[in-house]
Amino acid sequence: MIPKSIKWRLQIWYGLILVVVLAGFGLTAINLERERQMTWLMTNLEQRFAVVAGALHPRPPGGPRGRMPGELPPQDLRPEEFHLPPQFSTLFDSSDPHNFYFVVFRRGEAFAQSTNALIYHSPDEAPRQPHQFGIGRPLPSGEMVYVGCSTAPELRELESTAWKLAIAGVVILFFGLAGGWWFVSRALHPIENISAAAVKISAGDLSQRINVAEAESELGKLAAVLNSTFARLDAAFAQQKQFASDAAHELRTPVSVILTQTQTALNRERGAAEYRETVEACQRAAQRMRKLIHALLELARLDAGQEQMKRLRFDFSKTVADCVKLVKPLAEESGIKIFTELSPLEITGDSERLAQVATNLLTNAIQYNYPEGEVRIKLAEQGGLAILTVSDTGPGIPAEDLPHVFKRFYRGDKSRTGGNAGLGLAISKAIVEAHGGVIEVSSNKDGGTVFTVRLPVIS
Amino acid sequence: MRILIVEDEPDLLRSLAQALREEGYAVDTANNGEDGLFNAEGYDYDAIVLDVMLPKMDGWEILKRLRKTKKTPVLMLTARDQSRDRVRGLDTGADDYVVKPFDLSELFARLRAIIRRSANKTTNVIEIGNVKIDTAARNVLLKEKPVELTAREYSLVEFLALHRGEVVTRTQLYEHLFDENESSLSNLLDVHVSNVRKKLGAEFITTRRGHGYCIE
Repeated sequence: MIPKSIKWRLQIWYGLILVVVLAGFGLTAINLERERQMTWLMTNLEQRFAVVAGALHPRPPGGPRGRMPGELPPQDLRPEEFHLPPQFSTLFDSSDPHNFYFVVFRRGEAFAQSTNALIYHSPDEAPRQPHQFGIGRPLPSGEMVYVGCSTAPELRELESTAWKLAIAGVVILFFGLAGGWWFVSRALHPIENISAAAVKISAGDLSQRINVAEAESELGKLAAVLNSTFARLDAAFAQQKQFASDAAHELRTPVSVILTQTQTALNRERGAAEYRETVEACQRAAQRMRKLIHALLELARLDAGQEQMKRLRFDFSKTVADCVKLVKPLAEESGIKIFTELSPLEITGDSERLAQVATNLLTNAIQYNYPEGEVRIKLAEQGGLAILTVSDTGPGIPAEDLPHVFKRFYRGDKSRTGGNAGLGLAISKAIVEAHGGVIEVSSNKDGGTVFTVRLPVIS
Repeated sequence: MRILIVEDEPDLLRSLAQALREEGYAVDTANNGEDGLFNAEGYDYDAIVLDVMLPKMDGWEILKRLRKTKKTPVLMLTARDQSRDRVRGLDTGADDYVVKPFDLSELFARLRAIIRRSANKTTNVIEIGNVKIDTAARNVLLKEKPVELTAREYSLVEFLALHRGEVVTRTQLYEHLFDENESSLSNLLDVHVSNVRKKLGAEFITTRRGHGYCIE
């Protein structure tokens, strides 16, 4: 069962590692101690072994060899003749807690032993006792000498050391865990702060931001990402709100017309002609609303990316030529001349939608133009891009309005009697961008406006 | 009462003008800001219905300039209903503010209210002797009995009553009761005055020879 909290998980892992490390050190310490003990015991046992071996074959005084050339080796000692030199008698004393003892076997039988020796019947028996340690070796003369001792003192010492290490380990573990907990808490505290701030912001005021104390650390980057997300959300909501309020706003006037017309007409008895007029006025208003709703829905769909642009190859120049034909009557009304310069150009895209864009640009050029003015439309390819330019000889767009023309509901002249809701360019921009292209506008101080659309030929 | 409507949406303008005329007002119209201001400055309308979004000059601008010279009651018409827009309108000098789309009868009531207020009358009912004039219901009672008046006759009575004590010249009456839509012959005014006297009593309207008429 792994707890969900990072703090606890970190703590558990850290604790486990600490335990393993401390245990490792503890065991190593114990082992070193044990080795040291063994070395000490071995040294003592070897010393005593030499003493016993020496006592079995005492060397006569005089020279290391102790035998004159030609002298025969000594006879085997008889048991009662065996004794340790007096200076070594304390070596095998039971007063020493180690209880060093020796046993000598000759020809398979116990020959001599120290008074504190344990009784062994055979040489093989000795090493198998618990808590006993010793060395048993045969002498060149055939006797088997066994020197042993009790390891009880060593074990007690080891045990005591082990306990001390364990207690120390527990204390260290405790402090280590406490320290780790404190440290982890401090490290995670900023995360809790960020989390709390983010919750507050997302539940309430999206214009607030999280305070970023250390911009470079990992947490700083996290806070920065959250802040930028909030900024985007804020902007998106604001745009949505603005859009909804603009849309409602645009609908007010046609509704107002219908309401006033019908209320007036119903105020008293009227003749058929008057009713007809009223009904026609209502129809005009309703048509305005219909166009507005249609444009709004299209924009909304383009926004949501729900509109699948068709991807077919078609000749853009033919499409544009058709649009020009479509708007000719409108141009002739104001005596405006349209000049075309269209080179055949195949592109991939949605021909209907791009026709919408071309028509929109053409109608704008005609409507925002002087009577008897000119409109030039040009289509060419350059560097893998289809470039469509529409220019007019109208009054132009003031510099302060230029950055805003593609915004929704934006109209240069603030009234709206043109029947134009100000969505045409916004929709055109959305369509162009959905094709991976860009649309730009420029205007001269002396007048005239140029719209440029750049589309990738292959999208 | 003579009203000026400044509104650029043609269907709305036509409809409003017709409705107000049928209510008995004389109505002038303008469909852009410049013309509207020109009209408003050139004449003392009893009230102006002013749209905010106008070509050539918006409603705020017109109001600001108008207020330099005239105290004509102004009712602003607009599609903006934010509180701050209302505040701006009222602070700039509008007397009231109506949001589109509006109910026609509400517009009429507010119009009557601002006219009444500018004439310093606080109630809808004006009592002159035995005659009670209800400006809201647009009817007249003589000794508690309703009197049949034509729209023109009522307008005449209402205008004189609201300017009670003042002498109203014939020219003023022409301008306030008739608009460009009708040909006004000077006799017509006398006919109306005479008819009113027949219905409400000869002393109701006093003639000041050479000056005009008044109700005392």
